[in-house]
Amino acid sequence: MFKYVLRNMWRRKARTFLTVFGIVVGIFALTVLGALSARLNQQVKGAETWFTSKISIVASGGGLFGGSDGYLELSKVDEIKAVPGAKSVVAGFGLPLSSEGGGFGSPELIVGADLAEAEDLLNLIDIAEGRILRDGDEGVVVLGSTLADKFEAGVGDGVELRGREFEVVGIYEPTLSAPDSFAFVSYEDTLDLFRAINPYFQVENIAATIDVIPEEGVDANELAARIDEAVDGVKVISPAEAEKQISQFSLIFNAILLGIGFIALVVGGLSIINTMIMSVSERTQEIGLKKAIGAETGSVLAEYLLESALIGFFGGLIGMLLGLLAVYLLNNATASSQVSVFTITTTVVVGPVAFATVLGTAAGLFPALRAARLKPIDALKED
Amino acid sequence: MILARGITKTYRIGPVEINAVDSLDVSIAAGEFLSIVGPSGSGKTTLLHLIGLLDTPTSGSISIDGMEAGDLSAKELTRLRREKIGFVFQEFNLLPVLRARENVELPLRYLKVPAPERYHRAMEALEKVGLGERANNRPGQLSGGEQQRVAIARALVTNPVLVLADEPTGELDTYNTCKVIELMRDLNRETGQTFAIVTHDPMVADYTRRIITLRDGKIASDSAGPEVEMRCDDIR
Repeated sequence: MFKYVLRNMWRRKARTFLTVFGIVVGIFALTVLGALSARLNQQVKGAETWFTSKISIVASGGGLFGGSDGYLELSKVDEIKAVPGAKSVVAGFGLPLSSEGGGFGSPELIVGADLAEAEDLLNLIDIAEGRILRDGDEGVVVLGSTLADKFEAGVGDGVELRGREFEVVGIYEPTLSAPDSFAFVSYEDTLDLFRAINPYFQVENIAATIDVIPEEGVDANELAARIDEAVDGVKVISPAEAEKQISQFSLIFNAILLGIGFIALVVGGLSIINTMIMSVSERTQEIGLKKAIGAETGSVLAEYLLESALIGFFGGLIGMLLGLLAVYLLNNATASSQVSVFTITTTVVVGPVAFATVLGTAAGLFPALRAARLKPIDALKED
Repeated sequence: MILARGITKTYRIGPVEINAVDSLDVSIAAGEFLSIVGPSGSGKTTLLHLIGLLDTPTSGSISIDGMEAGDLSAKELTRLRREKIGFVFQEFNLLPVLRARENVELPLRYLKVPAPERYHRAMEALEKVGLGERANNRPGQLSGGEQQRVAIARALVTNPVLVLADEPTGELDTYNTCKVIELMRDLNRETGQTFAIVTHDPMVADYTRRIITLRDGKIASDSAGPEVEMRCDDIR
């Protein structure tokens, strides 16, 4: 039956091709966006371990990803320490790695942390090579994986950050999220760099963020609420809120993906329905003949369902392969700048093909039922 | 084998009702070789479809081998057709995308005969109609006579008790007409299968053993045919 169905499709090459092509376009878009969304979800997941294992505190008015130029007085650290349940309270300061501003992807940042308190924070990411920063370190850096690749640096190498030479003492495992493009140094070093860049803006005893790691057994969200109550002039971002902010990010994107899927569904589905109705009506006599010589309703139904499923499957397969090719080429084009925009996962490969096949089958259902329900005598008489 | 009692088939064309077959009684015994003739519109094809269980009469009853067709579901009718009846139609007989052998195999497929056996039986049937050599040709590569012979092979491959042919020679020249009818008559004589042939060609009717003449949906005459001896090679 399979061979027979293929031959029937081949009989109307042009029409089959055009219908398949309609599916290809939709599935191509779905695959490319799927790869984009897979990459984004990966980033969000990575970001979650970093951002949701701690409580972030910024000057009031700011958000998880900045949005405020306000700084916090270092005295806030002691106020926060006074709140029961806080294990370590880490003052941090950050500045962009490049003076030109970021491009696509995560911003590259120099992140400074108060090393006397930072052990738990810096241990949130697994170390791949060397060691994490420890109290008293000066002029040394631990690189996120993307930055390590970019500098082509290993432990013991020197790298230049904003005009100053640092020694690499450790490299983190990839998290596929923001911290991969961070260069971790001491709080003091960051402040020195900041002052060197902004000679007219001499600052002291300030922090851009304060990260709090709760004591074992203490609920981070409850601790965040207590800090919010006890300390004035700060915005406390609890893990729950961080998660919300991060997921909002991917929600929009997933909505776009859903939209594209819906368009592919409507356009592709209608064109398959149209093609199948034509196939059924031009083969009415054939259906009549088959039924006259003993074909059962089920076998006629199966035959036409298989045909429309195959149209969907081929469209899905070709669209997915073209999508992968586009993703591969685009990733190669951006590889030189250490940015990968797309990730290919099993879902990205199998999903669109499965979707198109199911779509084809569903779209073929109505025409196939029509074919299967024909009475042999009526079908034979048709001219 | 076939017993039709008072069958009527009414078609409605606009406001007019036409009895294509009008309270007709007919019986066909096993092993007969008969023709159904009559002017166009006399109800030949409709009668054939009714006998072949492709169509159901508006009134009256048909039984085949003692089974009342009216008592059977659509599914059971399909099964009965598949097992007992072979069809040869006038024009549209073969699926164009299938090779001759595959066309002949089709009813066996529906009978769920395993593939190797299907192949052998189809080849046997094709050889019987003299087309063993053309088994792998598509219908488009065969002449009209050859296509009709493939259709006959397909009608015979299930060893049906009854073969119904609707104008099997309608598109053929005299020589090929003779060959096709000769083939059917030989098969009838060898296997005892029953043949009912609808035709408007008097020559074809003259080759058969019984001629049923229809007029306005009724039987005008039902008589023994001359069963003329065929000499197809003389015609050429």
